[in-house]
Amino acid sequence: MEILVLLKQVPATESLIAIANDRVSIKPDGLKYVMNPYDELAVEEALRIRESQGGTVTILSVGPAKAAEAIRTGLAMGADKGILIDPGNLTCDGLATAKLLAAAIKPMTYDIIIAGHRAVDDDNFQVATALAELLGIPNISMVVKQTLADGKIRCLCTVEGGTKEVEATLPALIATQRGLNDPRYASLPGIMKAKKKPLETRSIADLGLDAAGLQPLVTIKALKMPVERKGGRVIEGDSVAVKVAALVKALHEEAKVI
Amino acid sequence: MAGKFVSMRNLKFLMYEVFDLVALTKAPYYSQHNQKGFDMVLDASMKLAQKMLYPLFEEMDRKAPYLEDGQVKVHPQVRAIMKEFGQGGWIGASFPEAWDGQQLPGLLHCACQLIKSSANYSAGVYPGLTSGAARLINLFASDELKATYLPNMMDGKWQGTMALTEPQAGSSLGDLATTAFPTDQGYYLLKGQKVFISAGDHDGVDNVVHMLIGRIDGAPQGVRGISLFLVPKKRPDGKGKLISNDVTVSQVFHKMGYRGAPITELSFGDKDDCRGFLVGEAGRGLMHMFQMMNEARIGVGLGAAAIASAAYYAALDYCQTRPQGRKMGAKDMNTPQVPIIEHADVRRMLLFQRAVVEGSEGLLMQCSRYEDMLNIAPKEEHARYELLLDLLTPMAKSYPSEMGILATSQAIQCLGGYGYCEDFPVEQHFRDSRIHPIHEGTTGIQGMDLLGRKVMMKDGQAFILFLEEARKDVAAARAVAGVAPLAEQLEAALKTLEEVTAQLAGLIGKKGVEIFLADATLYLEMFGTIAIAWQWLLQATAARKALDNGPKPADMNFYQGKMITARYFFAYELPKIKGLVQRLTDGDPLTVEMESSYFSD
Repeated sequence: MEILVLLKQVPATESLIAIANDRVSIKPDGLKYVMNPYDELAVEEALRIRESQGGTVTILSVGPAKAAEAIRTGLAMGADKGILIDPGNLTCDGLATAKLLAAAIKPMTYDIIIAGHRAVDDDNFQVATALAELLGIPNISMVVKQTLADGKIRCLCTVEGGTKEVEATLPALIATQRGLNDPRYASLPGIMKAKKKPLETRSIADLGLDAAGLQPLVTIKALKMPVERKGGRVIEGDSVAVKVAALVKALHEEAKVI
Repeated sequence: MAGKFVSMRNLKFLMYEVFDLVALTKAPYYSQHNQKGFDMVLDASMKLAQKMLYPLFEEMDRKAPYLEDGQVKVHPQVRAIMKEFGQGGWIGASFPEAWDGQQLPGLLHCACQLIKSSANYSAGVYPGLTSGAARLINLFASDELKATYLPNMMDGKWQGTMALTEPQAGSSLGDLATTAFPTDQGYYLLKGQKVFISAGDHDGVDNVVHMLIGRIDGAPQGVRGISLFLVPKKRPDGKGKLISNDVTVSQVFHKMGYRGAPITELSFGDKDDCRGFLVGEAGRGLMHMFQMMNEARIGVGLGAAAIASAAYYAALDYCQTRPQGRKMGAKDMNTPQVPIIEHADVRRMLLFQRAVVEGSEGLLMQCSRYEDMLNIAPKEEHARYELLLDLLTPMAKSYPSEMGILATSQAIQCLGGYGYCEDFPVEQHFRDSRIHPIHEGTTGIQGMDLLGRKVMMKDGQAFILFLEEARKDVAAARAVAGVAPLAEQLEAALKTLEEVTAQLAGLIGKKGVEIFLADATLYLEMFGTIAIAWQWLLQATAARKALDNGPKPADMNFYQGKMITARYFFAYELPKIKGLVQRLTDGDPLTVEMESSYFSD
């Protein structure tokens, strides 16, 4: 079973995010970067499939040289090799990222591609679906359980308030949802081995593409921080009755909730 | 999101900027490592700490171990923790590759331990003890014992312990009475009692392997009659099964803190069927055990520093968010209250905690650095590092332990009434920290070890080496503007230390050993404070250099805070030695003159 995992390095969710001066990106200074948590589920699921079916797990990531750290973490968990696609100065939207991945994957042999259903930094939700489309393979998203048999994959996926069961023929792409598994911790022997595992870097040119065909269709115009919560208001009054009356009035006239 | 319990930034500062961890990779022994790999190991430690250990911190305290049908029951997650630490390679992290270990530098291992112990001290004790016991087996046991016991211990399936203390023999191990009766079957039959045995029994593992000291029947009295034995809870029957080895748990203690790990009383050989296997040479048991004890003592200091770290970050978080009062001089009650961190006295309490935590972490890493030198330095230099380690061990154990209690107490103080309540973690940190001046040799024992043994041994060679090392760093710091005044203060303290030590040494001949050692604990306190000042000088020097080189904007606050905390230590803590010096040199042996009978009322 040849398994590909798509992975993105993202700022850790506990990082304090600040908007950069260009107002369309975040300040990288002082941020801690980690593997996208949904991609951890993808690596774990790939390792479990390999453990039960044999084969190899290859991690692909689009990002700057620093993103190799996240790939190494995946290798430390047990993946076999990694490919980093470095787009250089190009700012990729979801489609451009999918095109880069498609170009890298097309010449490869694979049975299943596993991705996180979204990255927690830009919450874009698009790369996995666009990639499946470009490769012309089935795409199943929000997977919480999968079983492989007879060249097919059967998945349980979350839908509003419940689950649905779907099936597709391999090769297929599945995107993970929380609950699929409990990702393993990187072990010390795993980390030692990871340093020696193959990790190659490819540029846009290496993939036979050029930047002109990868210009973003969607551009970010502005980033804004959420509005800060205002402090609460204490209703003053001499008695409970007076306070309740004032509260009801405020709920009715100011908040307009009753 | 997990609360903060340790500063990764500070650990990296110590490892990379103060102690130059990466330089170790030039030595063949550590050449398989690089900084990227170190960072991955740190990240893996942090992940384990945040996801597995920290969420159980409170729960393991509230659901303490208990004895049921002769078996100690612990939190069900202990089994998962032991498995993860075994399979993850953490139990053998610092072991050489020849022992199937990961051969991590001691410095890095120290940082990993600080991360895990600050998340949940009790949880880290189970694999930590197993690691210590496995080290002893690797060093001294026969190949047969190694093959029988090590694989399951390294996998986290079997627990390791240190079984030293007996009801009548705690600090005075020479009085221990557990007896080993020789047989002609290649084993001894053990009989005796042990108390306060950490993780001495529990259901999170399938077996327990005690590294026990006892006396072979007929061996001489005192420490020269002590031998080391491996005594399993269950022994292999030779047919692939484990059978009872006549080790009984007579009680599990109900403790003030550190409740996540069971401390047990054990009875060996009630049915005359407890088999023990001699490890190392007969009569050298205590010497062998001390191979583990030095490591264990530094480990205690590490645990204490880690707990103080967690308490400090809990207090810091509270002080940054709790509004109370207004800045001095602001009389208008309509202005909003300020977070209490705006008050100078609160900042003083926080600075005290940070000074204790980061100073202790520095001294612990200094010890690790010397341990690493033993792995890479030419043989002829080993004596130097061994002596330095011997000298620093009682201080690396006691300073964090004693000061950790005061630091966690100040953390409670920062939270006021809330700190005294179970709703916040600081009261648990305070309770958890109280064990540290007691176990692995009390502070009193450490004081006598330092003054009576370590400072005096080999004509004071270790002491001379310490002064050399500290003065080398004083000289380097004098050349750095902004740190030079601290260097002068440390030099003055070193001079005082020399004078006090010389005066005390003179007492041995004049007034006898009892008076010489009567205030050894105070001497330890004074020396420990100076050793931490030395560490703060090293940290201030590194921070000042980083500031002068134009740090990244995100690092600015870290280095500025580091400089002020260093200044705090020299302004508030180091001067405290003056009272100790006065007491140590005034020549009045009043504790010796105070007869026991005078305590009659």
